[in-house]
Amino acid sequence: MASVLLAPGWRAEQRRAFLLGLSPSLAVLLVITLVPAAALLVASFTPLSLTDPAATFRFDDPLVNYRQLLQDNRFLGSIAVQFKLSASSVALQLLVGLGLALLLNGKSRVLEGARTLFLIPMVLPPIVVALIWKIMYTPDVSPVHRALEHLGSPVRSLIANPETALWAISLADTWQWFPFTMLMVLASLQMIPDDPLEAARLEGANRWQLFRYIVFPYIRPVLVVCGLFRLIDSFKAFPLIYVLTNGGPGNVTEVTNYYGFIQAFNFSYWGYASAIATVMLVGVFVLSWLVGKLGWSDHEQR
Amino acid sequence: MNSASRTLGAADLAGAHEEGAGLAGLDSAPRQGPPWWRVHGRSLTVVLLVLLVLSPFLWLVQLAFKPAADIFGDSLLFVPTLEGFASLLQGNFLKSFGNSLLVSTLSTGFSLLIGVPAAYALTRWEFKGRDRIALWILVTRMAPPIAFTIPFFLAYQYLGLQDTVIGLAIVYLTFNLAIVIWLMQTFFEAVPASLEEAAWIDGCGVWQAFWRVALPLTAPGLAATAVMCFIFSWNDFFYALILTRTNAITAPVAIVNFLQYEGWEWTKIAASGTLVMFPVIVFTVLVRKYLVRGLMAGGVKD
Repeated sequence: MASVLLAPGWRAEQRRAFLLGLSPSLAVLLVITLVPAAALLVASFTPLSLTDPAATFRFDDPLVNYRQLLQDNRFLGSIAVQFKLSASSVALQLLVGLGLALLLNGKSRVLEGARTLFLIPMVLPPIVVALIWKIMYTPDVSPVHRALEHLGSPVRSLIANPETALWAISLADTWQWFPFTMLMVLASLQMIPDDPLEAARLEGANRWQLFRYIVFPYIRPVLVVCGLFRLIDSFKAFPLIYVLTNGGPGNVTEVTNYYGFIQAFNFSYWGYASAIATVMLVGVFVLSWLVGKLGWSDHEQR
Repeated sequence: MNSASRTLGAADLAGAHEEGAGLAGLDSAPRQGPPWWRVHGRSLTVVLLVLLVLSPFLWLVQLAFKPAADIFGDSLLFVPTLEGFASLLQGNFLKSFGNSLLVSTLSTGFSLLIGVPAAYALTRWEFKGRDRIALWILVTRMAPPIAFTIPFFLAYQYLGLQDTVIGLAIVYLTFNLAIVIWLMQTFFEAVPASLEEAAWIDGCGVWQAFWRVALPLTAPGLAATAVMCFIFSWNDFFYALILTRTNAITAPVAIVNFLQYEGWEWTKIAASGTLVMFPVIVFTVLVRKYLVRGLMAGGVKD
């Protein structure tokens, strides 16, 4: 109650102090995020490239890059590749993560130990994850390849085969990120109240019914948030592709992010690459907005 | 015969009934788990799954200790050696390891310095547009790195920040500041504002109250936040690949150089991978309690 009486003076002083505390961060964020984003947008309207440094501020045909994108089969193909990779890896991560969370939900030292150990793939430096899977997919040093060879059925490396390369990356990506879903689902499983479960059990519900009608509705918002988070992050997939396949064989593993990277840092077509990055940025904005609309608010209410 | 079967049937029924009653009794008894075989069956499954899932990771670690001569041999048994690690000492790997350490520490320190007061202000100060600022920070976190790298790459050419530790540390603020602000907000929310108001009555200023009251109470959260920033910086590959050449090269980029130029010395490659992931695993064990919150706040990136 004292706080209500004292509020005015304290509040006024707070406001001044908070403005002071907030401004450095906002200023820095402005300079390192909004300014580059604006620069990116401006660059995307120019034919800026290494061969034409003078083109920095040439705006005679601002939409040239975007028109070109629509006719660029490699770009359109990269979106298809992105879609396949994102859809398969996000779906797998949700499934594996959910399954393991259900299995690990309980109190015992084994289960708790397993929970911590399963975090390893997610926190490893992405380059180490890429390295691990480079080894797994290299017949000379991979235990799987060696074992199969001993059994008399050698298998071609999955990443050298255009049919399987993308799924090999999807598998590695799933391995790296299933703990994310697992963690989040575990956290929400622990928040399910006991009463409805208890009541349903007394009514004679079996395990599947318990899951379908009581547990699942509780964790569905978390699954949606997880899926959207992972979907947004899947657009940034880079180290795995860079180390495992370099976008190949052919272009079968060249996602949009990787194509943008090649246009910018291999070919130095800055303007064109900026247009690609702008398109990606818009896509991420739309999805983030979805997170806010669909998932986040729902999740926060819990 | 007839009567025997009837007796049998009755006995069966009675048995079934008793069993049912027993299960119901078990289920409704508060602190009693399922029967022992179910607990151990699950533990066994979990242990096997942990081994299966972590085997690619364990394979990398054992490669790091394998003598080069045994890499392509058939035996799983070998005498561990430190050859791989020793050969890293002779090259430039230590320097890149040091760079990683320096960049991560610098970026973590600076983002805490300006991010913590901002997080505090955002928690305690209700003003118009607060939600919008929070959303902007979150979206920043989700933007694909390629959108930042193109403008940063071009600007750094002019500013002379290309291939410098400072330049890289600044770029890492694009994600570290967001982590600090989001995470610390959740920690400050747990501290009752009335404590700072009491300090104000005792004659403290706003920032004095923050420094003496709020901050010490969030010390574990602050430590977890610092660790999280450090891990994200340490794990970065994409920015370092593009914004460094030789001087400021970080450990993840050095590993990729091994893969490309050193003629596939697997022992050395695996040893460097093991060294790079070591700090991250130690840190994860230290802060696993806060990990869910951290990943939720920041999303995850490569």
